[in-house]
Amino acid sequence: MANLLEINNLIKVYNKKIVLNNISFTVKDGEFLSILGPSGCGKTTLLKILIGIEKPTNGAIIKKGKNIVNLDVSKRGMGIVFQNYALFPNMTVLQNVAYALKIKLKNKNNAEKAALEMLKMVNMEEHLKKYPHELSGGQMQRVAIARTLALKPDIILFDEPMSALDADNRLVLRKELKKLQQKLHTTMIYITHDQEEAFSLSDRVMVMNDGNIEQIDIPNVIFNHPKNDYVRNFVTNHLIEKVSSIEKCTGIDL
Amino acid sequence: MKKSSTALKFLIFIFLMVSVGYPLFMMLSKIDWSNFGLLVASNTFKTSLINSLFITGISTALSVLIAYVIAYTVNRTNCKHHSFLKVLITLPMLIPSISIGLGLINLFGTNGIISCNLNFDIIGSIGIILGSILYSFPVAFLMLDDGFNYIDNNMYDNAKVLGLSKWQTFKKVTFVYLKKPIFSSIFAVFTMIFTDYGVPLAVGGKFITLPVFLYKEVIGLLDFSKGTMIGLFLLIPAIISFLFDTFTKDYASGEFEKKKYLDKKSTLKDIILKTIMYLVITFIFIILGSFVYYAFINNPVLDPSFSFKHLNYVVNNNIGKYIFNSLFIAISVSILGTCIAYLAAYITARVKGKAARIIHILTLISLAIPGIVLGLSYTISFNQTFIYNTFVILIMVNIVHFIASPYLLAYNALQKINPNYEVVAKTCKVSRFRILKDVIIPCSKQTIREMFAYFFVNAMITISAVTFLFNTRTMPLSLLINNYEGNLMLGEAAIISIIILIFNIVVKGTMYVLNKYEEKKRLNYETI
Repeated sequence: MANLLEINNLIKVYNKKIVLNNISFTVKDGEFLSILGPSGCGKTTLLKILIGIEKPTNGAIIKKGKNIVNLDVSKRGMGIVFQNYALFPNMTVLQNVAYALKIKLKNKNNAEKAALEMLKMVNMEEHLKKYPHELSGGQMQRVAIARTLALKPDIILFDEPMSALDADNRLVLRKELKKLQQKLHTTMIYITHDQEEAFSLSDRVMVMNDGNIEQIDIPNVIFNHPKNDYVRNFVTNHLIEKVSSIEKCTGIDL
Repeated sequence: MKKSSTALKFLIFIFLMVSVGYPLFMMLSKIDWSNFGLLVASNTFKTSLINSLFITGISTALSVLIAYVIAYTVNRTNCKHHSFLKVLITLPMLIPSISIGLGLINLFGTNGIISCNLNFDIIGSIGIILGSILYSFPVAFLMLDDGFNYIDNNMYDNAKVLGLSKWQTFKKVTFVYLKKPIFSSIFAVFTMIFTDYGVPLAVGGKFITLPVFLYKEVIGLLDFSKGTMIGLFLLIPAIISFLFDTFTKDYASGEFEKKKYLDKKSTLKDIILKTIMYLVITFIFIILGSFVYYAFINNPVLDPSFSFKHLNYVVNNNIGKYIFNSLFIAISVSILGTCIAYLAAYITARVKGKAARIIHILTLISLAIPGIVLGLSYTISFNQTFIYNTFVILIMVNIVHFIASPYLLAYNALQKINPNYEVVAKTCKVSRFRILKDVIIPCSKQTIREMFAYFFVNAMITISAVTFLFNTRTMPLSLLINNYEGNLMLGEAAIISIIILIFNIVVKGTMYVLNKYEEKKRLNYETI
């Protein structure tokens, strides 16, 4: 896989406080990369800079060989899925997904056809005529994902998309998202503070702390060879604790 | 995309500079300070200042007290039909303040319905106090009623668990939450009464207040410099009130689970409170009823028989033209004002940036300028321009005079709408203005209607803002009341008051019905 995205020496300073401290990493084409860290580690700032709502103090974002750091949000070829869905409340499920397509394709029928296809993919074809306030959190997030996928961006950014969902829904949606990604091969960057989510979804995980990258690697390596105490505590120990609690309850030796 | 929002910012900024900044600057720069000492030392000034402070102080205290009692009654006793009562209580807000003075004359004037048989009248300070209370308490009521909505009622259970006494509960719970609305309403009412000249002009008689003094200097003697200096004194409480509102934090946030206040038993206290409320409402209706009586009676003292005399007179004296003028002004003000206020709020709430902060402050400054002072500044600034003596200046002065409240309505509503819509739109290559039209405006329809109604009603009833700016061709209805009342044509003045009231009820009612209809159809989308 070739590198789709190259982040070089990204620095962000807010009121003399360093939020991102010289961050560099790459994202391969078709990869699922999770950015994992506690709140305040700088992951949301990083996301805002990637999507283009905020400018970094210094550094470059190279996409397909071109520096896009000064490009407007609309010209970066990225989509975004927010934690709070940001569905248009005055439009039905179908209208929500078809809205931007209509403007892009300038053809209502084609737009609705494409939207319907996407909604089928996220298992929402039965709810086309419903308004967002009639849906559950998980359903709303499915629509939001379909809306983003429909425009076929090169990269989709996820800003803690499942934090507002309950545990059951989270598990189901997680599996569906993984399937979708394997089917469509869309590059996805997934921001989360949930270790399980990061490890179950990702090709690679990037652990962040205090504006720095602590480690970036495939889940297996991070789990078995944490680079330092921070990663060991934040990631490995957390997961081991979970496993041991399951062992304790079930009596099964995992 | 960037360019269009910058252009919008620029346009709104220019509008505010021309309509607020420039007139204020011109007015202040034209003052002849050498006469300042003379003015302050003059007896008329001293008397009117003392008079103003006296009646404003008493009226404010009583007005806010009555408003509190009624707001408490509506929210904390078992009385039903909350929203209908609200409509009745706020009826005085739909007629000019001068009409309220007129109603008092009808009832308690030298030849009033009630007073003529009892040989007394309330012309003078008592009349002004009564009129001022009547016309200002609904405003305080609305602010306090709103305040009651933001009290976390769980706190009352906590207070009970802690065993607090009733007085302690009031101090530690109710007052903490209502502090800001109470003080805001005191300031707002004080400013309203202090700067109003409709009521004192109607029932003041020889009792002169500061705004009446200003009015007479400018209208009678054309002394603009002196008028402006008096205007400066009128600005003081408005500025204090403005600073207070800007710099105090509100404890009530609404960030809690809404819970109904359940402790509503019918006790003796409740019965007394409800009686007071219904007495106030009855009094409002007696005032409005007096208009109808005066409108269709030959002469209340000499010949109290049914007559179309006044109606015929009004109809034969070009009433159509005045109605047209008023409606034309009010509708233009509503449409343009709502657009400007909404777009300004859109900039400050959703686009943000440095320019947005300046727009925010400029818009709110208009809140601090009394109508009579604003009108004066417009006369001074624009009397050499082509817009003088046209509808344009009347529409402009109305928009500026009333923009702050609808602006704040829109600002609060737009801030609550999901901040990510614009980002999503951008990633979908949909422009900011497309999303404004397709999503944000449909989501704030209810607010837009409220803004529209606010502009309309106030443009219909104002006299202070337009009193120096109209001419015979552009004169609106509200000023006709002034004329008729001045010529002791009380029946004719009553008819005009009724006409204004009817138009305002129609507009308010239409908005109310539309909102109810949408709520029923569940088209008022919760923003997600």
